[in-house]
Amino acid sequence: MLKRCNKCGLPETYETIEFNNEGVCNICTQNVYKREKIDWDSREAMFGDIIEEYRGKYDYDCIVPFSGGKDSTYTLWKLVTHYKVKPLVVQFNHGFMRPTLNENNIKTFKKLGVDVVSFTPNWKIVKRLMLEALVRKGDFCWHCHTGIFSYPMHIAIKYNVPLIIWGEPSSEYTAYYDYKDDEIEQVDETRFNRFVNLGITAEDMYGMIKDDTDGLDVRDLNPYTYPKLRDLKKLGYRSICLGSYIPWNVKKQSELIQNELGWKGDQVEGMPWDVYPYEKIECSMQGVRDYIKYLKRGYGRVTQMTALDLRNGVMDKEVADRLIEEYEGKKPRSLELFLGYLGISEDEFNKVVAKTVVAPFKPDFDSNQWCEKTWDFDQWYKEDNTKIKENKGA
Amino acid sequence: MIAILDLNMGNLNSIYNAIYESGFDPEIVTKDDDLSEVSHLVFPGVGHFNAASKNIYDSTIDKTLKGYAASGRPLMGICLGMQLFMETGTEGGLSNGLGLIEGTVNKIESRKGVRVPHVGWNNADIIIEHPVLDGIKKDRDFYFTHSYAVSCSNKKDVVATTEYGEVFPCIIAKKNFIGFQFHPEKSQINGLKIIENFCRWDGAC
Repeated sequence: MLKRCNKCGLPETYETIEFNNEGVCNICTQNVYKREKIDWDSREAMFGDIIEEYRGKYDYDCIVPFSGGKDSTYTLWKLVTHYKVKPLVVQFNHGFMRPTLNENNIKTFKKLGVDVVSFTPNWKIVKRLMLEALVRKGDFCWHCHTGIFSYPMHIAIKYNVPLIIWGEPSSEYTAYYDYKDDEIEQVDETRFNRFVNLGITAEDMYGMIKDDTDGLDVRDLNPYTYPKLRDLKKLGYRSICLGSYIPWNVKKQSELIQNELGWKGDQVEGMPWDVYPYEKIECSMQGVRDYIKYLKRGYGRVTQMTALDLRNGVMDKEVADRLIEEYEGKKPRSLELFLGYLGISEDEFNKVVAKTVVAPFKPDFDSNQWCEKTWDFDQWYKEDNTKIKENKGA
Repeated sequence: MIAILDLNMGNLNSIYNAIYESGFDPEIVTKDDDLSEVSHLVFPGVGHFNAASKNIYDSTIDKTLKGYAASGRPLMGICLGMQLFMETGTEGGLSNGLGLIEGTVNKIESRKGVRVPHVGWNNADIIIEHPVLDGIKKDRDFYFTHSYAVSCSNKKDVVATTEYGEVFPCIIAKKNFIGFQFHPEKSQINGLKIIENFCRWDGAC
């Protein structure tokens, strides 16, 4: 049995978690601080001052890194409609964007009237990076973590736009940064190296894969490399989260973008679709990510979402427990696609994941309960998995 | 132009790199150079007060430095550079500093548990706010390596102190000059912030 927070139910295997004498976790206590101790009016005024400091002085007032999920969509909406800025939207395509997300993005861009730069990195390299990160860290999303946080910084330098505005601060979910000490989270290289890149820089990654990756060019890693500090300093960059200046409220913000922009939620593998239609709709491999998390740490996205609601006092513990019991830990249909991309069998996948399990959790790899297929599953990109075919043939 | 004064008193690479990484393009100037184009001057130094004093007064750099200081442009002293802001120093016998800030420089007294030189990380207790310390929180650690410490005649010149056996000023400032006993260029994120702030400072308090 994992030790869990008395309030939100997050387990001891959760990143950065600590429990106080009452058995309440640090993510919950910092949330109390967020609600009660921070002077949000003065924070909002500070944000207004920052916007004015940069307005009209560069090609764009700011850069908004954009996935099309609820947080970046809300951030863009707020900046354009409330603060009337002229932003450059920067999209890093991780390779798994879904139909509803693409429709949402088109609507958002057209309705708000914004310039957009979109970048899709080399898929062959992405596949190799996913395999390496999975083997080394049990987290195949390295290319996405690093690309999302470094690519917009390169664009900031190229377009000479020093202000970069992200959405949700990490202190909503983890304690790498907290709301205490009036510390305002800077989305910089320190943060990037602290947790975003899983402790693997692009230079490290190049060294790890160069000997067995045909045709790999050192420049292939550029989109995942954090820009040089000097270049960012020369630009006079400032990279901040809107959520450090206005109190982040996921439910309220999701409703708002649905009403204002016609943004739509979606079915996400392994989630109760009626309760959480707004969370992590931007990636067709989300189910695999959450499944690995469950195998490694004994909890998945349902626990994470109910924890947020329990913490904010908008859900009963019994409801949360029922949702977790019913939905968590099931195998996503997307696993087969994922194994196809990486060219590995499920057995090999399980062996890799088994090495990254976080004690004291012990996963059961033989449980073969499947998640329900999402409506768009059959449209997701597929590759032949020769390994699986060979196994079946034998 | 941001300039680093080279009086052959130690290695300038760290301070050069720290300024460069902060997005600026520093230049090295020597005692014979004209400082009229310099917007910000960094005066680093490692070594002996007496030898440095001799070095300064044997050339005309004392006049150049005093002239620069009087012009209101920002001047940063680091370690021995900062100690030379004072009127006098006792290292190697009593000798004259530049006299930009009233006071002297004395040896840290060695005692039980207090080894001299003082080498390593120690915290700076900031007493007075200063534009060059913008964004630096109280009680952050910086890197020290020294055997002598300044003693200021006027309390208002002491911006921050450090305790090592005794309490001594680790940041001093007056008008457009600011001095650091520790090495901001070797003090990671907080040190780099100080250097960047200095490079953007207009010299006013």
